[in-house]
Amino acid sequence: MLRRTLALGAVIVTALLLQSTVFSQIKLLGVRPELLYVVTILMAILEGPNEGAVIGFAGGMAQDFLLDQPKGITALTLTLLGYTVGLARQYIVSPSPLLPTILVALGTFGGVIFYEIVSFLLGQLDDPLLSLLRVALLSALYSAVLTPLVYPVLRRIFERSRPRRVVRF
Amino acid sequence: MVSRQHPRSTRLLVVVLVSISLAVITLDYREGENGPLAGLGRTALAAMAPLQEAVTTVTRPIGDFFSGLVHLPSLEDENRQLQAELDAALAEIAAGTYQQSQIEQLSQLLGLEESLTPTSVPAVVIANGVSNFRYTITINRGSDSGIERDQPVVTGSEQAPILVGRVTRVSAISAEVELIIDRNSTVAGKLSVSHETGQVEGQGEGDLRMSLVTPGTSVEGNETVVTQSYEVNGQRGLYPPGLVIGQVSQVIPGTDGLQEFVTVRPAIDFSSLEFVLVLQTSRGEG
Repeated sequence: MLRRTLALGAVIVTALLLQSTVFSQIKLLGVRPELLYVVTILMAILEGPNEGAVIGFAGGMAQDFLLDQPKGITALTLTLLGYTVGLARQYIVSPSPLLPTILVALGTFGGVIFYEIVSFLLGQLDDPLLSLLRVALLSALYSAVLTPLVYPVLRRIFERSRPRRVVRF
Repeated sequence: MVSRQHPRSTRLLVVVLVSISLAVITLDYREGENGPLAGLGRTALAAMAPLQEAVTTVTRPIGDFFSGLVHLPSLEDENRQLQAELDAALAEIAAGTYQQSQIEQLSQLLGLEESLTPTSVPAVVIANGVSNFRYTITINRGSDSGIERDQPVVTGSEQAPILVGRVTRVSAISAEVELIIDRNSTVAGKLSVSHETGQVEGQGEGDLRMSLVTPGTSVEGNETVVTQSYEVNGQRGLYPPGLVIGQVSQVIPGTDGLQEFVTVRPAIDFSSLEFVLVLQTSRGEG
């Protein structure tokens, strides 16, 4: 359990670090990926809605404290996102290896739109609608492209440290 | 693959986490700058700084390589363009020296104690923001080096400083700087040739937008925009005068002659900033 928590903390910090350094230099048409959305969605796929919500909350809070705005908006978004994706995953039986990529694309798009709406309602965003849509689309696309790189890493870390009692099918 | 848990307990967990998030949003919203949450944020800023500095030191050459690769075909054009810009810049410096003496005389006349070259603290850019909606950078100097909130940040040489932004959050060892292209940023600007003033607002990724105080001014293309000092009710503006903001790239005539905009291309590419200077314009204390 402790090992899992530590591993999770390391994953979140690494994602934040990469997001604020490397990916602010390598942007896709001026937009960077949303690494914490990717981590939340993939962990929800791997571990289910319960873990998804917890990881989304922890990662979201971590990101919020690095932002100069009312803290908690990203945490709210990612909690709901992790839960929803985890729930949806239980009803999808497709064996397609593309499934994580597709879920990341859809999930990130939906999550960013939700984040934008909450931020707008709190008076934190006054970007024109078109630019908000553009950011949501491009960051979803960029995140999806990164998924095949991130997914195996996460699966490897957390399969090894997962408690044995879990029933697999 | 999925662990079986009681759906009801999961739902309860989500409700609890969402409630906590909402509570944190509300609390932080009400308390603003001075609350305990803002303090925690500064701690997070400080904790990340050494890690970000290390990563940036390693990855900057890689990032430069990739952006160089993307721009390779346009390098020749760029070279020619830079040559032309250099000529223009040299002429500008000549004009600038004259302006500076003029401003010095005027500010003495007005009894403003605005010093044009305040002491400055050099700093290294160690990270950019994490959000797609905010345009910030993190620098490796904080309150330990005398950096305070709202201090202007510039780059370029001390003779011809280019405005980067202002300090918005300070931890002991690092500080967050809001760039002038951020949508929350507003700078009082002045056109260098027509001497018209206006507000320069950030537009995110694109060029800055300057709304002119007097509509119907004839604006030349390529005119340089610099900061303008002002004083309202004894509150001085944040930025010392004469910092270069950028060049006019387009004039958008207003409909009905009500309001006119010009777009201003920033003088620097913010994504490749490496070194900046924080100007110690002490407001209040000497």
